[in-house]
Amino acid sequence: MAVDPARQLERSARLMELLARTALADQSAFEQLYRMTSSHLYGVAMRILRESAAAEEVLQESFVNVWHHAGSYVAARSQPLTWLTSVVRNRCLDRLRRRDVDTVNIDDEEHAMAIADRSPMPLELLLSGAEANAVRRCVETLDAGPKQAIALAFYQGLSHSELARHLKEPLGTVKSWVRRGLERLKACLDGAGVHR
Amino acid sequence: MNYRTPERADALAAQYVLGTMPARARARFARLARSDGVLADAIRAWEDRLSPLGQSVPPIEPPGRVWTAILARIDRGRVASAAERRTVWASVSLWRGLALAGFATAIALVLVLLSPPLEAPEARLVVVLAGQDAKPALIASAGRSGRLLTIKAVTPLSPGADRSLQLWALPATGNPRSLGLVPASGIAQIALPVAAGSALENIPALAVSLEPRGGSPTGLPTGPVLYSGPVQRLY
Repeated sequence: MAVDPARQLERSARLMELLARTALADQSAFEQLYRMTSSHLYGVAMRILRESAAAEEVLQESFVNVWHHAGSYVAARSQPLTWLTSVVRNRCLDRLRRRDVDTVNIDDEEHAMAIADRSPMPLELLLSGAEANAVRRCVETLDAGPKQAIALAFYQGLSHSELARHLKEPLGTVKSWVRRGLERLKACLDGAGVHR
Repeated sequence: MNYRTPERADALAAQYVLGTMPARARARFARLARSDGVLADAIRAWEDRLSPLGQSVPPIEPPGRVWTAILARIDRGRVASAAERRTVWASVSLWRGLALAGFATAIALVLVLLSPPLEAPEARLVVVLAGQDAKPALIASAGRSGRLLTIKAVTPLSPGADRSLQLWALPATGNPRSLGLVPASGIAQIALPVAAGSALENIPALAVSLEPRGGSPTGLPTGPVLYSGPVQRLY
């Protein structure tokens, strides 16, 4: 996916402005914010929740939350789309994890099984997502196991135990893959000056 | 769980952001991060690191009912919480008003151009502030290099005895900035800290809100916007 940095910067500035106005209860700015970001955010929610009713609900809750708490977004600290995506991802993950507690393992099994026939695969996404920037170099330094575990966790919201079941590896192995993978990513990204 | 060492806090933040933390640990960590700046910073840093990966997720257009539901929920909240306390930004009509003000501006330009020049024609900034009915109510103008913003009402203003009208600069980003109060007579000269061309640079529009007597106590608009208009740069 080619991302033009200048256009991205312009889009970020626009989103920041819309968030600032949303914080002041400007409803038309809020609507533009929704128009500019909802399909990306809905895609993220669908990817993790794999169920349109749940994804719609999360999108709705997230934007109602943004309306009330846009003031807590601090422009200097993170990119607006990062912030918005985090709001949506966190709600998706909270919902998934709650489901883990509430339901028996059969659901987990189905969850893990369902991943196999979905496309594009998390691993492809991981690499194409990283394509446009230095993140790719860092992702590529990861070993196959950690790379796959992180892709499945990030794009599908799989927990440690779901990862273990899906990858058919012991829980301890998967946990250490994730931990080591993240450590490695951090060292690489921070070292490359990608992270601010 | 021990969150106290920076390494541990960072590793947990990474797991939290990636999403692999089990439900109970996740809820507890989120709760702690709300009151712990170090954890909150670690989470934010991981969100920054991992977010480029999210760009490749194929976008999906959500059904129209999602926006309808969002709108219904925020409207209900607003009516319940503050029927009258609309902020300057609350009205969609502000921006609709700005669009309609295009017509009003044309009239103002004619007025400005027809008025006999006192000196050599000068680059000017002109703002026609119109109400929601798009009828011009005030004209604000200043020479580009002048430091006085002249306000003239073209309709009678009646803010009420215990109210004031306050003029605001609406920047492209960030909060509105007060330019001063507009007297009930509707005629005023407002001193600008620097030349108008600079003072109103990056200010796409001005607005007048209805405030408690003496002006907004918060430094931001608290009452409804009565008039607004785009800043026209005649140079």
